[in-house]
Amino acid sequence: ASMMADAGQGEDRSLALPSLPPMYLQPQATERIRIEIISLSLHPETTLSEQVQQLYVEYRFPGVPLAETETPLSLGKPHTGREIYFHFSKVIALDPEGASIQRELLFSMLQAELPGQSWLQFMVVSEPTPGVEGECEDVGVSYVDLREILLTGRDVLDPQDLGSAIGRLKVSVEAAAALCAIYCEGRRKAEEE
Amino acid sequence: MGEAEEAAVPESGAVFTFGKSKFAENIPSMFWFKNDTPLYISCGDEHTAIVTGNGKLYTFGSNNWGQLGLGTKNTINKPTCVKALKPEKVKLAACGRNHTLVYTEQGHVYAAGGNGEGQLGLGDTEERSTFHLISFFTNQYKIKQLAAGSYTSAAVTEDGQLFVWGDNSEGQIGLAGEANVCVPCQVDVGKPVSWVSCGYYHSALVTRDGELYTFGEPENGKLGLLPEQLKNNRVPQPVPGILERVNKVACGGGHTVALTETDVYTFGLGQYGQLGHGTFIFETSVPKAVEHLKSHKICNIACGENHTAVISDSGLMFTFGDGRHGKLGLGEENFTNQFIPTLCSNFLKFTVYLVACGGCHMLVFATPRPKGSEEILDH
Ligand SMILES: [Mg+2]
Ligand SMILES: [Mg+2]
Repeated sequence: ASMMADAGQGEDRSLALPSLPPMYLQPQATERIRIEIISLSLHPETTLSEQVQQLYVEYRFPGVPLAETETPLSLGKPHTGREIYFHFSKVIALDPEGASIQRELLFSMLQAELPGQSWLQFMVVSEPTPGVEGECEDVGVSYVDLREILLTGRDVLDPQDLGSAIGRLKVSVEAAAALCAIYCEGRRKAEEE
Repeated sequence: MGEAEEAAVPESGAVFTFGKSKFAENIPSMFWFKNDTPLYISCGDEHTAIVTGNGKLYTFGSNNWGQLGLGTKNTINKPTCVKALKPEKVKLAACGRNHTLVYTEQGHVYAAGGNGEGQLGLGDTEERSTFHLISFFTNQYKIKQLAAGSYTSAAVTEDGQLFVWGDNSEGQIGLAGEANVCVPCQVDVGKPVSWVSCGYYHSALVTRDGELYTFGEPENGKLGLLPEQLKNNRVPQPVPGILERVNKVACGGGHTVALTETDVYTFGLGQYGQLGHGTFIFETSVPKAVEHLKSHKICNIACGENHTAVISDSGLMFTFGDGRHGKLGLGEENFTNQFIPTLCSNFLKFTVYLVACGGCHMLVFATPRPKGSEEILDH
């Protein structure tokens, strides 16, 4: 790494500031999508079975293994009026422009006419307590509409409250620039054909 | 950090930045001092102060209140030597939410930054963008430690006296009836004090005989007191439940961390994992030893608003709590809250000496381990 002397106050050369290694050069906004599962609360009237003690959240993103898009931990279910906080942030580096199943899938979501087909779905899943018999069980579902992000050009920020039958899930999705690029590419290809 | 960076770090080590440090556009990064090493690091809510072995003070970060002491209010995005203090040798520094305290070898205590509650100790409530001498501390007091909280300040002398000043709206400087004080006042718990920490709205002290006292905002169990003690939250009260000697304490936004000879105890709010007690305990008023640290000898602790960092005597670092902005040093954009202490693998090939945590950032001073010494890590 190269070094630069601190130029801030002229003569101060006591500080070494190595240049950033290339690994920190961030991909362009058009090549990345950031999704954060922030927090979850339950409606006061929600009654979950005694079996439900801890919850995690997952979503399915085209071309990304599910193991990478589920919160790494289950958290104890929130008490009434409380939230549980995951702050699970993932940056998905999209396949580059060109032939890519991931880009085709995203393009078809963005083009979808039927409601539901352009949804990025988030599942709230109950995981059995360690040492207790049982299966993982979906207890709630919520979604962010990717087509809406495309049409409004606005990321889902500050965190979006996703209403659901059992509670509220807060997520943020930074995807507008990337979805726009995918949509434009898809349309261009369709016209060429 | 990758191999490339590791190779670039000099033997004398580097300071590593994580989270919203304002340095290097908040990307995890590092710097070091030529012919000098950091002795002491402190983080405020959004600013940082570093004291070096040569007695220089460097500051950077947010500066809306002049808390960097550089004579301006511009955000400073790289460590900048406070030239005005150069005639003296700086020994200690403490960053509060928006102010900074320093102590020099000449026996002077200086303060700069926000002063709305008198936290500069200068007898008024006017902010200062340069370091001003707190005249109360003539060189008859030898200061052992400085601490600063949201709008609070504290100093412990070598002979065990505790002085406090600033905001007391929640009793967080332990002066019972006062609303706030603009000059240092003594707090006496009947025995010598060896350590103090100021959190956002609560504080804690340790006596020389190893007893932990807390005071300030009583909510969420962060005082670790019994229900019947909470009505006296404006004066320091002993925390029951830690049977061993307490050596150090660190206060965060809603949580408290106490270090004993053998264990790390935490209590208060843990909704982001900052207590390190796992995924079911989000709040407790009962001090509880952190299970996952029992096999390590921890020698240093630090609290940010919602995160915690500890260093073991073998120079390993563990972090837990709120992972946003990559402040836990476990990944910048791919991150998650950590509910148990998590080994910071970035530093496996380093010896970590210093860590300081702020509102949304963390600074670490570490040196590369000599080649062939990695077996020390087999814990
Ligand atoms: Mg699963
Ligand atoms: Mg231990």
